Amino acid sequence: MTIREKGYAHWDGQLQERRFPWAPITWLGIRLAFKRKYFKFILFGSMVPAIVFLVGIYISERMEDFQYMFRGNKQLLEVNPAYFKTYLCSDFLLFMMVMILVVSGAGLISDDLKHNSLQLYFARPLKKSGYLVGKANVVVFFLLLLTLVPGLVFILFKLLFAGNFRFLASYPWLPLAVVGYSLFVTAFFCSYTLLFSSLSKNRRYVSILIFTVYLFSDILFGFFYENYKNPAFALISLKANLQQVGSWFFRLKPAYDVPWYWSLLILLAFGAAAGLVLNRKVRSVEVVK
Amino acid sequence: MIAEISDLRYSYGRVLGLDGISLTLPEGAVGLLGPNGAGKSTLLRILLGFLSPQQGSGRVLGFDIRLEQARIRRYVGYMPEDDCLIPGMDSVTFTAHFGELSGMPRQEAMKRAHDVLFYVGLGESRYRLLDTYSAGMKQRLKLAQAIVHDPKLLFLDEPTSNLDPQGRKEILELIKDISSKKEIQVLICSHILSDIESVCSDVVILNKGRLAAQGKLSELREVQYRLYEIRTKGEGPGFVERLKGLGCRVQETEDKLLRVYVPAEMDIREIFVAAEETQSQVRHFVRSQTSLEDLFAKAVGVD
Repeated sequence: MTIREKGYAHWDGQLQERRFPWAPITWLGIRLAFKRKYFKFILFGSMVPAIVFLVGIYISERMEDFQYMFRGNKQLLEVNPAYFKTYLCSDFLLFMMVMILVVSGAGLISDDLKHNSLQLYFARPLKKSGYLVGKANVVVFFLLLLTLVPGLVFILFKLLFAGNFRFLASYPWLPLAVVGYSLFVTAFFCSYTLLFSSLSKNRRYVSILIFTVYLFSDILFGFFYENYKNPAFALISLKANLQQVGSWFFRLKPAYDVPWYWSLLILLAFGAAAGLVLNRKVRSVEVVK
Repeated sequence: MIAEISDLRYSYGRVLGLDGISLTLPEGAVGLLGPNGAGKSTLLRILLGFLSPQQGSGRVLGFDIRLEQARIRRYVGYMPEDDCLIPGMDSVTFTAHFGELSGMPRQEAMKRAHDVLFYVGLGESRYRLLDTYSAGMKQRLKLAQAIVHDPKLLFLDEPTSNLDPQGRKEILELIKDISSKKEIQVLICSHILSDIESVCSDVVILNKGRLAAQGKLSELREVQYRLYEIRTKGEGPGFVERLKGLGCRVQETEDKLLRVYVPAEMDIREIFVAAEETQSQVRHFVRSQTSLEDLFAKAVGVD
């Protein structure tokens, strides 16, 4: 007999106050991302550099076995902060992160706006901050999978392959730098994605925005830099700004002769603007005054 | 008592949404009526905590509407008027998701989602993508997500909009079942008067942001006026004019039947005196039930 025939039945459980009320939103977002076309392929593609760099760490500890491959180019496989920065700030990894955002993050808020689902979320004991954290964590999950996890795995495997703690003794701040930069780049991309996702009800427009703003800012920088040879134009490019800040995290000289904190300020300003827009856009009801 | 509000005021910029409303919503099924722009949805949104009133106070299920919004939402189910879904999901995942957000454990939410989907008649299509659902199915799904956590109070905003007659009948049956047998209080916001009439025992009528009428449907009908159906032979127009002069509202149907709304204080015998004086023969004189439509028209001041 179906319930319909039986009539309405009460639920005999007890509603609980969740410690993390946003957790169901995050898990659902992650599950839905995996259902999207090409997502698994893009995610796997994004992990290729991590595998390559991990192999690099293994080879660096077995140099004598692979000498024939690196005649005169041993410094290529010297595992030091620059090695980590090269991985975490590489053009390819940043590009793949943007691709992940396009596929998994574009619809996070825009789909809810399009389908009027915000009122369903806010009819639950969920605050605006809880909703945003739940959505942001979808992006956080995938980005940390590409930054923090490989970064820490590199350190762990370096220690394992070396069989001693000499590496950590030389760079005791490196784990913190990996954690700090990973969190920074993730937080930036989170606000970047949620900002654009809240600006339109159309997922495609949001995808295009996420992709073109990142790419166009870099193209613009390239154009001005090539013509005027002024490194200050690096501040236009999101990618260059992330790399400048990355250099500071890993105690390296920035690629462009511009103070790193200018880049940091620009990225923070972007994040603050995103916060303001999100606060305005994400509402349980559309109030037209 | 499901809710109690006092001197509630809310405005959208210069436009006044609610203008100092005070009322008490009793247990059972209560209908919230009013023409477009009367403030029904605004009131519902304030009760849910979506909007914060600029003035006044209130309690829903004993919880303060300003300070305990999360608690209110835990025990309230809300079925919005607009279509709302999450694309790329099936209805079981969708319903269970909102059960989880209400505070149900994951396994329990999933089990309960199956139950309520069968209850609202979506059992067979519960694994279909929501994107492929018809308007009627989406309406049922909205009801399912509203009752998944077994709320104590259900807010239904236009629950039968976009439905064909059969779908409408079925949804109303479900609401009746929930409100009459299961101790779940229901507040229905609708402009379809017959829906309210068939489900609710109490009504609240709003007009231009103010309270126009409130109370038990049966009592309101009694208190406001009595309705008589009269058929006469002889001087029709003179009789009608005379009745109007006595303070009655008279409607004439196509088959010459007079529907006479008699003020509460008027003596019925005056109708017969008026008939005699205008030389009209009263051939048919039956007391009739006033409809909610009549009540609504009188409350909001339209014919």
